Amino acid sequence: MRSLYLKELKLYFTAPIFYAVACIFLVIAGIFFSNAMLRESMFAAQIAQYQVNTPVGLTEVVIQPVFDGISILILFLVPLFSMRLLAEEKASGTIELLFTYPLTDAAIVAAKYLAGLTVLAILIAFTGIYMGILAFMSPVDWGVVLSAYLGLVLLTGSFLAIGLFASSLTRNQIIAAAVSFGLILIFWIMGGLAEYLATGVFSKILSELALLGHLSSFLKGMLVLKDAAYYFLFSLFFLALTLSVLESRRWRG
Amino acid sequence: MITIEGLCKDYGPRSAIRDLSFEVRQGEVLGFLGPNGAGKTTTMKIITSFMPPTSGRVSVMGFDTVKDGLKARRCIGYLPENNPLYNDLKVESFLAFAAGAKGVKTGHRRARVTQVMQACGLMEVGHRLIGRLSKGFRQRVGLAQALINDPPVLVLDEPTIGLDPKQIYEIRHLIKDVSKERTIILSSHILPEVSQLCDRVAIINKGAIVAIDRPENLTTGLREHTSITARVGGNVAEAARIIGAIDGVINVTQAEDGALMIDASRDSDLRPAIVRQLVAAGIDLYEITRLDLSLEEIFMRLITEEEANA
Repeated sequence: MRSLYLKELKLYFTAPIFYAVACIFLVIAGIFFSNAMLRESMFAAQIAQYQVNTPVGLTEVVIQPVFDGISILILFLVPLFSMRLLAEEKASGTIELLFTYPLTDAAIVAAKYLAGLTVLAILIAFTGIYMGILAFMSPVDWGVVLSAYLGLVLLTGSFLAIGLFASSLTRNQIIAAAVSFGLILIFWIMGGLAEYLATGVFSKILSELALLGHLSSFLKGMLVLKDAAYYFLFSLFFLALTLSVLESRRWRG
Repeated sequence: MITIEGLCKDYGPRSAIRDLSFEVRQGEVLGFLGPNGAGKTTTMKIITSFMPPTSGRVSVMGFDTVKDGLKARRCIGYLPENNPLYNDLKVESFLAFAAGAKGVKTGHRRARVTQVMQACGLMEVGHRLIGRLSKGFRQRVGLAQALINDPPVLVLDEPTIGLDPKQIYEIRHLIKDVSKERTIILSSHILPEVSQLCDRVAIINKGAIVAIDRPENLTTGLREHTSITARVGGNVAEAARIIGAIDGVINVTQAEDGALMIDASRDSDLRPAIVRQLVAAGIDLYEITRLDLSLEEIFMRLITEEEANA
């Protein structure tokens, strides 16, 4: 399993798509960051001018909006990373090597998932530069930042599990990306749908199922077991689906 | 060794192989011969447990490929049809991956990769991307990944397809080198290749075995008579008369180019008797050859027979 994981990492870092997407991601995240910084300085100027004595927290004005923005960016970005994971192996025929090597299907799924998550985590870690800049100018609540990163990685893991599942369904990477993007969007708009319905058990279920809602506690610096468990189970569910798609070849014939 | 019992595989309503049974014995090279679409690749994909059979069973070194798939796969080196490889990896890192995935212990991996690269003549291209290699080198990389964990069984699906004559010669040589102490099944539709490399040949057509035997038995086994050609100097008619008188000779005719075509019974080799008689009669003998059926002829004959019966 370790070899497969390392092979996947190697393939990610040799492909130009990684650098292209990473570049775009960091530029847009940078725009979010500088935007938030400008707003913060505007607030600060207003406070100075009117002598208002309300402290303007970095957490509310900078950190939370930046992480909210990044989470949306990741939503768009994960399908681009996950689409190749299994679809490419199918299209090139190398899946025949994988399936005839003495590897279990579970090991294949786990290695692919962890490799994808590692790459995305590295990408997300690069935004730490922005936090560093922030810390240079004013004291930062590192507890909040760390919990926000944890939430972001958990959210990314859920997106990636959907993406891996979509990639197991087809040999066409474009279709894999489209399907994972569609599925992620469905779980995203569920939150909005729940607000629209406003009442009832159904609304409650929808809002609990929605992906983004569970991030807010992490962004406030709270580690809520329920929200962490949600992401964990969500990922596990789609990984199990992926596994059963791979295993189906044994009985489907 | 590989045992195949009553193997069937259906793709929807179409059956690719039906009731296939044969054995690849310990240490032998079995050639798997058949026209395209006969079921060679399907059989190999089932042996390597890439796909399950519809019915029947396959065991590799005693492990059932369905129930004990992981153990069976550990014993097999497989070169799939069309040789799929990771084009974006370098030869060396791909082989390192294959070594790890196929269970070569961490400490031995480097040494094993170098060893296999040496054996397959890949030392000069170790740092090149697989996607940039020529077909001949790609094929060697395919063979190298199959050999990486030193498996007792090799399954090679059309190992020389699409190569130029020099590359074919090299790959064959390589297969010959690694065939010692290994059980190999290789498919091909190039007949001389099979007769050169293989201890036994299985001919498959429309998903069923039509013949399985040693190449030399196959080539002699299908004729009613033995054919001998002789080239003589001087009085050809006299030579024909002398040969015709030999016990066991059925018919002598003269071909257009002057050679004598002799039909003889299969019971014994009449060549020494013919030589003695001709020399005793003072006739010059330039050439004498027994004609065996080529594998091509056998192949065509078996497959057309099959069609005539159907």
